[in-house]
Amino acid sequence: MMHILKNARSAKLPRLAALLVAGLGLAGCNYEGGDPRKEIGANPPLPALQQYLVPPIQIARVAAWGNETPAVPQGLQVHALATGFEHPRSLYVLPNGDVLVVESNGPKPPINRPKDILTDWVTWFAGAAAKGGNRITLLRDSNGDGIPDLRTVFLDHLNSPFGVALVGNDLYVANTDAIIRYPYQEGQTSITAPGTKLTDLPGGPINHHWTKALLASPDGSKLYVGVGSNSNITENGIGAEYERAAIWEVDRASGAHRIFASGTRNPTGLAWEPETRKLWAVVNERDEIGPDLVPDYLTSVQDGGFYGWPYSYYGQHLDPRVQPQRPDLVGKAIPPDYALSSHVAPLGVAMYTGTELPANYRSGAFVSEHGSWDRTPLNGYKVVFVPFSGGMPSGPTQDVVTGFLDANNHARGRPVGLAVDRTGGLLIADDVGDTVWRVSSSNPHSASNN
Amino acid sequence: MQQHATIAETSFIRDADLRPARRPRGRPIHRILVSFSAAYFAGALVTDTLYWRMLDVMWERFSIWLITAGLIMGGLAIIAYVIDLVGGRRIDRPAWPRVIGYAIAVLLALTNAFVHSRDAYTAVVPTGLMLSALVVIVLVLTALVAGALTNRHRFGV
Repeated sequence: MMHILKNARSAKLPRLAALLVAGLGLAGCNYEGGDPRKEIGANPPLPALQQYLVPPIQIARVAAWGNETPAVPQGLQVHALATGFEHPRSLYVLPNGDVLVVESNGPKPPINRPKDILTDWVTWFAGAAAKGGNRITLLRDSNGDGIPDLRTVFLDHLNSPFGVALVGNDLYVANTDAIIRYPYQEGQTSITAPGTKLTDLPGGPINHHWTKALLASPDGSKLYVGVGSNSNITENGIGAEYERAAIWEVDRASGAHRIFASGTRNPTGLAWEPETRKLWAVVNERDEIGPDLVPDYLTSVQDGGFYGWPYSYYGQHLDPRVQPQRPDLVGKAIPPDYALSSHVAPLGVAMYTGTELPANYRSGAFVSEHGSWDRTPLNGYKVVFVPFSGGMPSGPTQDVVTGFLDANNHARGRPVGLAVDRTGGLLIADDVGDTVWRVSSSNPHSASNN
Repeated sequence: MQQHATIAETSFIRDADLRPARRPRGRPIHRILVSFSAAYFAGALVTDTLYWRMLDVMWERFSIWLITAGLIMGGLAIIAYVIDLVGGRRIDRPAWPRVIGYAIAVLLALTNAFVHSRDAYTAVVPTGLMLSALVVIVLVLTALVAGALTNRHRFGV
């Protein structure tokens, strides 16, 4: 089946079609992406925009891990904390060290166009259509040996949950359509109490980008919610984008919300930068205008800031697919701080403040790159580290956890949610391998303080 | 859509009855399918124009489904035509102007389906709209040219 797709992408159809419409100025499209490392950091080079008859598609066929693990550089080690999950998407560490694994997948998208049938099939092929558990599993490692000795279903019967945040004794779960509050006592291993709705969030019936990232403010008075757009680039109509592609600020006491920042196409991960205490986000940018457009990004989020989507990208680069345009908004569009390269699909971010990992990881952000499906060669499929200095990224990304793709470019796993556990190890949710990986220092001196 | 198609079919049958047909009797199924696809392609030109003027994605979705339906009917017409041709029962010899004209229209419509599968505005304006118009122009020209040739031939006999 891969061959069919690859042939369709690279050979017959585009060439035949290009021949047919050469007179209309559609020929000469570029299907090969450039060096993805050139698009990392501030002010990435942005090639000219392209429109395709058949956009590039390259999906990684799914393979099994077997007894193998992802690869880490010298000084680190990685092992499976637990396996056998149902599509684990995000992670949260409770104050007592218990790890919450959110097992979830999006609701089935509606078929609005013939293209959606094909997209469904591509999603299935990439292993991304697996059923989510719609639950949260708790893992407890009492003796700190890196192997959980308790595993319970913490919360069940949720609706495509993603973000989790604990403030005091209130545990908030961001389902795809609402934030629900549950009472939580430290040490509790399962919640059976019914939840209370704090506020609705934009959900169905289309719900194109369904994940709702959640982060509590340091003082606990506000919750920040990453709400993705309802389309790639407004193909479902601008009306479907009401209060989407935005980061919400929800008042914890009243449930009232305001748009904290907008124009962020799909803000899948939120984190506080520890030095400046500013809000940062990883954002997935738009598709189908080229293998090197538009780079996904990591950025500080300004109160009231507009980051371009859908009208423009990286500041004032207009997207011709959006009509009518909004020059008033484009004029104030803020270019993001740090490009992560195109189509890497950053789905998790964790600012590292622990001491378990070697010194070179002690100031910066880990970012999980779920991996591309619409670019050749594949991009992402790894966890990278972005070094920070003075509250801003200070260098290129460093590959930290790789090997999600095997030698044949088959995906054994795809990294999604990140969290730092109580002892400073980095946890990674892998929604294709259905595993939670733990990265720790391989140096026994720093690893033995558990 | 179903209703439109039915009307097209009915009017076609009535029109055709006025012509002295070269076929022995009965109507080859491909002719019916061709008129279905032509109606769908013409509909797509209308909905494309509406999208261009109103920028409401509903019309854009109408267009891509109409083009898709037209292509399905076109594909079935080609299969039916080949069967008739091979069977040699109803077609004495291929009507080349019609065949070539229709093949061009279907290839343009196929390209148009890909253009219409883009997201938002540029799925229609300008390329999609131009292709939709071109498909209709080619179909009309084919009908006119083929009709003129048939008539000349008929009167010549």
